[in-house]
Amino acid sequence: MVAPATLSLRPCAAHAPPRAALPRARAWLAPAVHTSPPSVAASSPRPSFGVLRRAVAVDSGQQGSPEPPEQEKKPKTYHFLVANAKFMLDEEEHFQEQLAEKLRLYGERGMEQDFWLVVEPKFLDRFPNITKRLKRPAVALVSTDGNWITFMKLRLDRVLQDQFDAESVEEALASNPVELKFDKPEKWTAPYPKYEFGWWKPFLPPKSSNGTA
Amino acid sequence: MASSAMELSLINPAAMRRHGLSAAGLPLARRSSAVRFRVSASAAATTAVPPKPSGSGPKKQGKKEIQETLLTPRFYTTDFDEMERLFNAEINKQLNQAEFDALLQEFKTDYNQTHFVRNPEFKAAADKMEGPLRQIFVEFLERSCTAEFSGFLLYKELGRRLKKTNPVVAEIFSLMSRDEARHAGFLNKGLSDFNLALDLGFLTKARKYTFFKPKFIFYATYLSEKIGYWRYITIFRHLKANPEYQVYPIFKYFENWCQDENRHGDFFSALLKAQPQFLNDWKAKLWSRFFCLSVYVTMYLNDCQRTTFYEGIGLNTKEFDMHVIIETNRTTARIFPAVLDVENPEFKRKLDRMVEINQKIIAVGESDDMPLVKNLKRIPLVAALVSEIIAAYLMPPIESGSVDFAEFEPQLVY
Repeated sequence: MVAPATLSLRPCAAHAPPRAALPRARAWLAPAVHTSPPSVAASSPRPSFGVLRRAVAVDSGQQGSPEPPEQEKKPKTYHFLVANAKFMLDEEEHFQEQLAEKLRLYGERGMEQDFWLVVEPKFLDRFPNITKRLKRPAVALVSTDGNWITFMKLRLDRVLQDQFDAESVEEALASNPVELKFDKPEKWTAPYPKYEFGWWKPFLPPKSSNGTA
Repeated sequence: MASSAMELSLINPAAMRRHGLSAAGLPLARRSSAVRFRVSASAAATTAVPPKPSGSGPKKQGKKEIQETLLTPRFYTTDFDEMERLFNAEINKQLNQAEFDALLQEFKTDYNQTHFVRNPEFKAAADKMEGPLRQIFVEFLERSCTAEFSGFLLYKELGRRLKKTNPVVAEIFSLMSRDEARHAGFLNKGLSDFNLALDLGFLTKARKYTFFKPKFIFYATYLSEKIGYWRYITIFRHLKANPEYQVYPIFKYFENWCQDENRHGDFFSALLKAQPQFLNDWKAKLWSRFFCLSVYVTMYLNDCQRTTFYEGIGLNTKEFDMHVIIETNRTTARIFPAVLDVENPEFKRKLDRMVEINQKIIAVGESDDMPLVKNLKRIPLVAALVSEIIAAYLMPPIESGSVDFAEFEPQLVY
């Protein structure tokens, strides 16, 4: 009863072939390079920050009993929202304000950053049912804080939501190189200038993330 | 009910409570309510301690009643029993607890805990302001303060009343009332720069409360929070680009401030989603359009009466308003099942005609005619205004809504 074309006031929504139900895929990505030696964490019930990720697995059960490294890996769940880059980075200007606000707060409170923008993320390969409904290039908002992603879905609305597990943050945030370019808006009537192209740079994963060109 | 609600919200601050900045109400409903001010005559003392000027209550040195010809935002009350039923998870299976949990976390984060700290710039800027601009700034501050305070009262009460039936929703309301109190307090301190203070305790008791059914509270409050966001951010970004118009430091706080408004709006979005009966039928569409229209029209007419303010900060009033209306409408289209086609140039033409008629109505009121003559002169004008409003209401709407509810969602490309 509602015509699809009228839903979006923005140009980003269009028709596409019907999809199958979205899989609640908890895709386990291929194991990443793993660096910390198993013995360190196994012998340390209160591990130092550097081995925290590994040590969680140890804490949760087999303290003191050495396990092969493969089983000790504790993947983290990453929640994400994804849509085309134009929507995420060019049209939704309040989105920039929100991310900046969050980054400011993390700085003030000395919290470790747990949210990122990923341009053309590699993890999308695991979600064919998402990619076939996605205009490219795509941009994902990724966070380990599932609650916050649920909130952001409420805010952004026109985005797809899912989650996956990854062994390391580098692996989770790996992206394919792509050049972004947005056309200038035909008419800009706001009494202020648009946020500058590239505002998202502070929210991209650190350069050390593998796979990022 | 329909007509009385129409009257209510047209008379009223569209933006019910919020942005006093905008929202006062149509002049055809001018009331002569008086707001009581306490003029703290101790200008010297205030200058000496700029950061903490308002001990507001106790030191009253002469009360002055300021006649308000402008309408201030009203105070609202609702059917709290119905609210309790709506948010009882046992009765209402639609409640998306994940969304409310997420919102609660977001409000607990309290992004602006340390944001509202004043500095000596305020008093200095206020002292420099003279003439009509000074007057209109005072008006802006008192209306904004009343609007925020009105939000505080409503949310506080909802937080109290829903505690048993839905503790999560109740806590969110309480945290929103925290934000509103903070905003109101900050604005009231701004008034102290002008040697005034709004007597909020008096207001609480003395003002009339307007009753809205819960579903109207949801539509109207959603809109007023979102339009509040767009007004504040637009002013902030404009002044950032044109700092020569930065006449009073309060605007520098708007960027962070309005993120609170935006989040409050998101909460009402979640409340509406939890009550699909308010979103999914033809009646919901009619009400959605109605509330959009009354909010936009009220803001436009109000602001066009206060061009001094907007021009004083370097804005073109009508352009500013149209920008805010268009953006608010786009935002609202993510939840309301129908919105107005405000980007159709005919919509603005209608608004401009309303402004003209409204100015004539005001002129009649200010003339020296006898009351009876004034009323007779008003009749055709009010009829003309109403018919413009109805025509705008009947313009072909735009179907809209959250993709979470869209039947065609599977065909959407993101």
